[in-house]
Amino acid sequence: MIVDAAWPVVVQAYLRAVLVDRTHLLLLSFAPGWHLLDLQGDPAFYGLAPEAPDGLRSLQDLFVGLPLDRDQDIPFVELANGRSAHVHLVADRDAFHVLLLDAEEARSHERVQQQLVHEAIIAGHAKSKAIGQLKDIRDELGRQRSSLEEANALKNALIATLSHEFRTPLTSIFGYLHLIERRATADATAAQALQAVRRSATYLFALAENLLEYGRGESSGALLNAVEVDLGALLADVEGMFAPLAEAKGVRFRATLAHDDATAPRFDEVKLRQIVVNLLSNAVRYTTRGEIVLALAWRDRRLAVDVRDSGIGIAPEFIGQVFKPFNRGAQAGSKGAGLGLSIVRRLVDQMHGTLALESEPGQGTHFSIELPSVAAIAAGPEHASTLRGRRALVVDDDADVAQLLEVLLEDLGFEVRVLGDAASAVARAMDESPDLLLVDVELPGLSGNAAVYQLRAQGYRGPIVSLSANATTDARDASLRAGANHYLTKPLNLERFVAVVRRAVGEGAKEAT
Amino acid sequence: MTPLTHKVCMLGDFGVGKTSLVARYVRSTFSDKYLTTVGVKVDSKEVALPGRDPLKLVLWDIAGRSALDAPSTSYLRGASALLLVADGTRETSLNSALNLLMQSRSTLPDAVAVLAVNKLDLVERWEVAATTLSELRRSLPVFETSALSGAGVEEAFAEIARRLPG
Repeated sequence: MIVDAAWPVVVQAYLRAVLVDRTHLLLLSFAPGWHLLDLQGDPAFYGLAPEAPDGLRSLQDLFVGLPLDRDQDIPFVELANGRSAHVHLVADRDAFHVLLLDAEEARSHERVQQQLVHEAIIAGHAKSKAIGQLKDIRDELGRQRSSLEEANALKNALIATLSHEFRTPLTSIFGYLHLIERRATADATAAQALQAVRRSATYLFALAENLLEYGRGESSGALLNAVEVDLGALLADVEGMFAPLAEAKGVRFRATLAHDDATAPRFDEVKLRQIVVNLLSNAVRYTTRGEIVLALAWRDRRLAVDVRDSGIGIAPEFIGQVFKPFNRGAQAGSKGAGLGLSIVRRLVDQMHGTLALESEPGQGTHFSIELPSVAAIAAGPEHASTLRGRRALVVDDDADVAQLLEVLLEDLGFEVRVLGDAASAVARAMDESPDLLLVDVELPGLSGNAAVYQLRAQGYRGPIVSLSANATTDARDASLRAGANHYLTKPLNLERFVAVVRRAVGEGAKEAT
Repeated sequence: MTPLTHKVCMLGDFGVGKTSLVARYVRSTFSDKYLTTVGVKVDSKEVALPGRDPLKLVLWDIAGRSALDAPSTSYLRGASALLLVADGTRETSLNSALNLLMQSRSTLPDAVAVLAVNKLDLVERWEVAATTLSELRRSLPVFETSALSGAGVEEAFAEIARRLPG
């Protein structure tokens, strides 16, 4: 009896209602081996079907690993029909009983309370994280703003200077040229002179336009517009521009060309011209006696540009300053805007070349530049030789992109393997440790970032380059946080791709040692 | 033949995705609605491993806790294995999982333990560093999982099954 028979009948009935009916007590008695002996209560209330072969399997599962000869109490068990019950096992000599007491109301109450607390904690965590990120962003924006303001002030000063110093006299020159050319002249020498003036003025105007681009940022300027260059024509043009100017000062001007390579030179012609013109402008400006020599040599897919003068030279303490923008005073008697050599340095860097300067005050200056052909930048012999035999694994689900990457990497000397999904790439990379792993971020299923994270979490230390069409800083940071060494955006900038691949593989080699 | 049955307890802080991992593993379902587990929910799944008799895993999805209290400890009794679950986006949940592992050792000194770091689909927001997991792998099997996509889920449970006596 669940209640004492000596108690008043109404109390017994009340207690029965409270303890049995309200809790929907279900009593199941079992012999060893879970053979059901007796059942009291409504098993369907708990989603149990004792008559079905596996109808009590979920109850049995509850006691896996537990001794059935000792009382057990498992509170708040969610049963197959979603109801919650307190489940008790009562040992009884050779048998045992399982009691189920409804706990749904208590569970619901508890769940509401816990849910609120947990959601508040999770929201608090997300909030503090977001506040931290916002603070970082605000600090970064502040820093960027200061540097942008500084850069912008510099740029505005430059543009204002150039607008006035270049455009105004050029407008005047073009105007008078037009007037003079309208007067037909039979004098061949005069006509040639006018052509030379127009040619020089035109080039000066183009140069001014290029200088105005100085403040427009590195990225756009860094793209090379490669064409086949007629070095003979280039030499003749600059000779036509500068020889008269030099000779007018009593300075000899010589220009030579050595064309020892059968292949056609491919360069960004505008940039190449700017380099030569700036160097010669400098030479003519600071040379009052002796000679100026321009020597172009095309050999081994490299163009050597040498400009040598016998001018005033540069004092050793100013050598390091001549390549800085707005440098006026590195050379005595400087009259220019102080931009010429800084532009030369920038253009040489953009063209992946090298620049050397030798100078002695009173004796002259020698600029020596070497520029690789644009074709050689993508797949030059030095890259191929250092990268030949290296293994690259490309993971991209876009067959066209994957093929492009494969071709580019093979041109660089890699042995390339291509996979279309991240999961198999993780296994393959762990297995083969390629020298380079290129992973698209937007892969179906497991994302590229997740794959990179998994690899790093498994101790993979090889170089990884992530590729994505998403050019935002957030996307880049997410990839780098996941463990990529480099992040490239699509469409690919060929030069940047090659530079990043080289750097990545170089870093990997360093790390391996 | 009745397969050998083992009790596996899911242990971890609240909101790390224990219930979702079980739902993904047992029923191949996922819901992004968070519903706190109160008490325990028991599911089961048979596992067939190559070269071994099938096993039945009885999965105890226990309410999330950062530390073991008396009721949670009582749920652990009889367990052969623990799947410790952490949320990669909350580093504290990894500490909780490791803390729970240490606490459970007094009740279950020999239980198989595997760590699942969940929410791989949100890897961009993870606070848990890859190097941390790389270090942890020296002492216990670690799986990055996503109950949403299913990544790593099957593998984590299979690892438990592999380590259980057949």
